[in-house]
Amino acid sequence: MTQEESSAAAQSGKIARTGSQALAMRSAALVRRGLRDLARDSNWLMRKVFHGPVSHAALSPDGQVCTLTPQVRYGAQSLTLFDVERCVPTLTLSLSHDADSAAGPARFAWSSDARYLLGAWGSQAGALQLFDLQAKMLVGAFGKFSRVPSDIAWSPTGAFAASACGGENSSLDLWRIQPPIDESIAAPVHQLLRPEWLDLQSTDGETGEAGAFTGYGRTVFSPDEKVIATVAEIGGEWADDLIAFLDAATLRKKSVFEAQGRVTDLAWSNDGNRLVYCSAGQAYGIDPLSAECTSLPFGGEQCAWHPHLPICLFFSSWLRSSAKGRLFLVDMNKISLFDECPAEGILDLRWSLDGSKAYAITNEGLAYVYEPELL
Amino acid sequence: MTRKSIDTEATQTPAPLSAKANKGPLKPEEAELLRKREEQKSLENELTERELRATNLRAELGAFERRYLHLVGLRYAELDEYKAQLAERLAAEQPQNERAQQAAREARARASETKSGAGEKAEHEPRAFKASPEMKRLYRDVAKRIHPDLTSDRDDRTTRQQLMARANEAYERGDEPALEKILTEYESSPEAFHGEGPGAELIRVIRRISQVRGRLAEIEAESQALLRSDLYQLRLRVEEAAQDGRDVLKEMVEKTEEQIAEAKRRLAEGMR
Repeated sequence: MTQEESSAAAQSGKIARTGSQALAMRSAALVRRGLRDLARDSNWLMRKVFHGPVSHAALSPDGQVCTLTPQVRYGAQSLTLFDVERCVPTLTLSLSHDADSAAGPARFAWSSDARYLLGAWGSQAGALQLFDLQAKMLVGAFGKFSRVPSDIAWSPTGAFAASACGGENSSLDLWRIQPPIDESIAAPVHQLLRPEWLDLQSTDGETGEAGAFTGYGRTVFSPDEKVIATVAEIGGEWADDLIAFLDAATLRKKSVFEAQGRVTDLAWSNDGNRLVYCSAGQAYGIDPLSAECTSLPFGGEQCAWHPHLPICLFFSSWLRSSAKGRLFLVDMNKISLFDECPAEGILDLRWSLDGSKAYAITNEGLAYVYEPELL
Repeated sequence: MTRKSIDTEATQTPAPLSAKANKGPLKPEEAELLRKREEQKSLENELTERELRATNLRAELGAFERRYLHLVGLRYAELDEYKAQLAERLAAEQPQNERAQQAAREARARASETKSGAGEKAEHEPRAFKASPEMKRLYRDVAKRIHPDLTSDRDDRTTRQQLMARANEAYERGDEPALEKILTEYESSPEAFHGEGPGAELIRVIRRISQVRGRLAEIEAESQALLRSDLYQLRLRVEEAAQDGRDVLKEMVEKTEEQIAEAKRRLAEGMR
C-alpha cells in the first residue's frame, strides 16, 4: 500500500493496512500451488466427480466430463457436465422420461476447443444432437441412424465430424459442422457404406471364410485433418478387425491394415506420422506410410496421445501379476514407461488442450488427473 | 506535559468521579458515567489485546510468506522459466502445431506471473516473525494511547489511523525505536478539549464503547479471514510437520530443485 493509499484509507475512516496484505494478494497463486504440491505425493490426483455407476462418460480438453445420469426424483435422465477440477456439476440438461437410457448405449464427443458437444443416446439415438456449451443451448439435431453410433469424432479444427455406425445400416458419415444448424447439414458431405475393399481384406487366411462386417467402430481424424483412421469391425469370436486410413475429404481408401483381434481404441501421434491402436488388450503402433506395424511391449485397451509431445497415455485393465488395472504414460520415442497409477473401470482418456494435464474418468465417477510439474 | 484532553481520556486516567463520594452521593448520571467508564476500560483492554493478537498474526503470516516466497516461490519462478523455454523450443520445432504454439504462449505467461508473484530475491533469507515481550508491551502502550477507535474526534481519529498504521508496520519489522517514537510523537501533540460535565462525558464514553465494540468485531472478522486463508493453511502444514521433525519448506525446495535440474538437463540435451 502506498502512502497515498494509506492516507486515503485513513481519511475514509478505515484502519490502514500494512504492506503484507498487498504481498499476500500477489503471492496467492504461489501459495495455492504450494498447498497443492504438499497435498500430493505423486503426479496423479484422484477426485470423486460424480456418483456412479454410469456406462458412458466423455472428457473434454478443458477438464469437463459429460455423462448421462438418472434423475431419481423425477424418474427421468439428465445430461450432466461436471468440472473435474472442482468436482461440481456445471450444467444439467433434463432429457426425456427415459429412465433406462442412462444404462443404454450412448456416445458423446467434445470439439477440440470444448465449446461443442455432439451426442446420441437412448431415445435420441436416431440423430446427433449438437450442443453449444458456451451458449448453453441445443443447437440442433441432424442425421438419421437406426442405432446409437459406435463412435463420433471431431476433426481437430472442429469444421467436421464423423459418425461411425454398426448394424444393418452400417455407415461412416462425414458431417460439415457450421452452426447454426440448418437444412444444409441434413445430409452428410460423404458417406461410406459397406466398402468394396472389405471383401479383399476380411477373408480368413487359414479357413478361407469371409468375416462378417458388422460396422464401423473407433474413428479418429489425423492432426492435419487429411486422413481419417476408422475401424471396420468384423464379427466372430476370433475375427480380426481392420483399420482403414481414408482420405478425409472423400472417404476414399488410402490403405487398410488387419489388426490383431477386436480394436478398442485408436490415437494419432502428435505429428500425424504414427497411429497407436489397442486390440485384444495389447497396444500396437502403425506407420501408415510404410505399412509397418509393431507390437508395443505392453498391454492397452485405451490410448490418448499428447497434443504436441511423443507421449501416449494408456489404460490397461490387466497387470501382469494381478488383475488390477493401471493408467500409464509411455515415451513413444524410447518406448519406455515413465509414470503410472493403479486404476480400474476407465471409460475415457483425454489430454488438456495445452498438454499440461491428462484426465481419465471411471464408471464410478472417479477422475484421475495427471499433472506433472514438468512434462 | 499536563494531560488536559477529555477526548483522549479514555486511554488515560479518568477524572476521579469516585472522589465525589466523600462529599455526598453520586448523581445518577455520574454513577452511570462511572459504570460506563469501567466498561470502557475493560473493553479497551480487550481491544488492545485483540489488536495485538491480530497484528501478531498478520506479522507472522507476512514473515512466513516472505520466507516461503524466498525459499520456494523463487524456485517456482525459476522452474516456470525453464518450462517456458522448453515449451518455446518445442513450438519452434513444430511451427505448424497450433497447440504447441498456444502451450508456449501460456507457459511464458505463467512464467511471468510466477516471477511477479515470487518477487525479487532478497539478499538474506527472511526470518520468522517473533515479537519480544518488550515489543508486545510497547505495542500495547501504543494501542492504548493512539488506537483510532478510542476517540470520537474526527481530526484526531485521522491522525491516529495514520499513526496506528505506522505502528503496525514498525511492530511487524520489530522496530522498537520506531514504536517509541510514534508514542512520543502523539503524546507531545496538542489535543483539544471539548464539552464539560458528566452528561457530555457520558455521551462520549458511550460512543467510544460503541466504537471499540465495532473495532472488536472488525478484528474478529479480519482474524477469521486470515485463519481461513491459504497462507495460514500452508503455514499450519509447515508447523505441524515441524513438530514431527520435518522441514516441509526444505522438502519443497529440494523437490523443486530436482525439477529445475531435470528441466535444465532437457534444455541442454534438446527435446527428447
